[in-house]
Amino acid sequence: MSFPGEAEAPPLLDAQGLVREFAGIAAVDGVDVSLPSGGFLVVFGPNGAGKTSLLRMLGGGLRPTRGEVWLGGERIEAGSPRGRERVGVLSHQTFLYGHLTARENLRFYGRLFGLSDLDRRLQHRLGEVGLLERADDLASTFSRGMRQRLGLARTLLHDPDLVLLDEPYTGLDPHAATVLRTVLETLRDGRRTVILVTHNLTQGLELADRVAIQARGRFAWEGRSTDVQARDFEGFYRETVDRIEGLR
Amino acid sequence: MKLYLAQLWAVAWKDLVIEFRSRERVGAMAGFTVLVGVLFNYAIDPTLVRPEDIASGLVWLTIVFAGTLGLGRTFELEAQDGAFQGVLMTPVPRDALFLGKVLSNYVILLALVLIVLGVFGLFFSLDWGSSLGALVGALALGTLGFVAVGTLFSAVSSGTAMGGALLPILLFPLLVPVVIYGTSVTGRLLAGRPFAEVEGQLRILGAFALVALAVGAGLFRYVVEE
Repeated sequence: MSFPGEAEAPPLLDAQGLVREFAGIAAVDGVDVSLPSGGFLVVFGPNGAGKTSLLRMLGGGLRPTRGEVWLGGERIEAGSPRGRERVGVLSHQTFLYGHLTARENLRFYGRLFGLSDLDRRLQHRLGEVGLLERADDLASTFSRGMRQRLGLARTLLHDPDLVLLDEPYTGLDPHAATVLRTVLETLRDGRRTVILVTHNLTQGLELADRVAIQARGRFAWEGRSTDVQARDFEGFYRETVDRIEGLR
Repeated sequence: MKLYLAQLWAVAWKDLVIEFRSRERVGAMAGFTVLVGVLFNYAIDPTLVRPEDIASGLVWLTIVFAGTLGLGRTFELEAQDGAFQGVLMTPVPRDALFLGKVLSNYVILLALVLIVLGVFGLFFSLDWGSSLGALVGALALGTLGFVAVGTLFSAVSSGTAMGGALLPILLFPLLVPVVIYGTSVTGRLLAGRPFAEVEGQLRILGAFALVALAVGAGLFRYVVEE
């Protein structure tokens, strides 16, 4: 997706005609995503819409059947380490090792990213998500909310340009969701490009400046968050999804 | 190169710390080895068969069976909370990831080799004696090839519906050279034959390990990427 007036600035993220098929069935079916630095896109959609597959392709974790992903002029490919140092991914799975402490988990990922000044980065990120006091405790002793906060620290450890968030609120209690939302707010710094996939319309719309509805592998609707505020989005969302899925 | 080695070591360090804390694989392999030693102790009549005549085969098969038990868990630990998917989203080269996993598995299986030598020495009153150094060297060389092939096929089997149950079916046919030459070297050393007699077979074990490492490092990305 791109918007009028943005054509002048080269997009940070540019993916055209992304298709991913599993056993001949298209999970993602011709999606275009073009976002400038600082863009915050929220993708809504029902289960099975292909949102996670789309994010995995954008992050280089899944090879597209067709189409390419470019980030800052560099092609992101599954199997190639190129460009990955500019991408951070957080999903409902935290990618953490329960037998390692919070600090060890971050140190491990920091070494894979080849980060310098790792101790300072660890302190900063652990402090940012409020886990400094539990830094030397095993991740397996953490609550779901704490693990997700630690996962967020892992996601941001290497200061990525593109942050991909796949249902990060899943399984969080209201307090943990509020803490996570506060940290996600800090990502709207105009420097990072963020794509958030969620079922939660309210939480998503609070953060977005662009919105897309994905159904049956395609973007069924794209717009700015200002367009969304002018209408009953929940009703519009259901109507759009039902129409694409052939229920109406 | 420095970054590559740091990434490789980070993977191995992580696996070893997890194993040290959980003792999951070493515990299972050690338990298996002791039970096998006990069963062989009752199954073999020392008045009919001299234990030192069949010890090399028993040692190698115990290493292969117990080692497969441990190697099969290599990627199951990674599946918890999607951790391996997170690792694949980092810029770590896939061959460094493979070699890091081989290194940690190798350290774990060397611990198994020592346990096997201890158990069989105890139950069969074997005297590893003067050939202990060469014997450990032969076992270490053969184990390296075993670990390289086993780590690759553990990744293959973990991505299938059959999971770890598929690993022995894929792995054992490829281990035939390791078992043939490993058993031969071990048997000859136990029989007190001179080192020169096993030198060529040791070279073959070394060549097998190098080829397995190179092929595994080259193929690993095709196994783990979707």
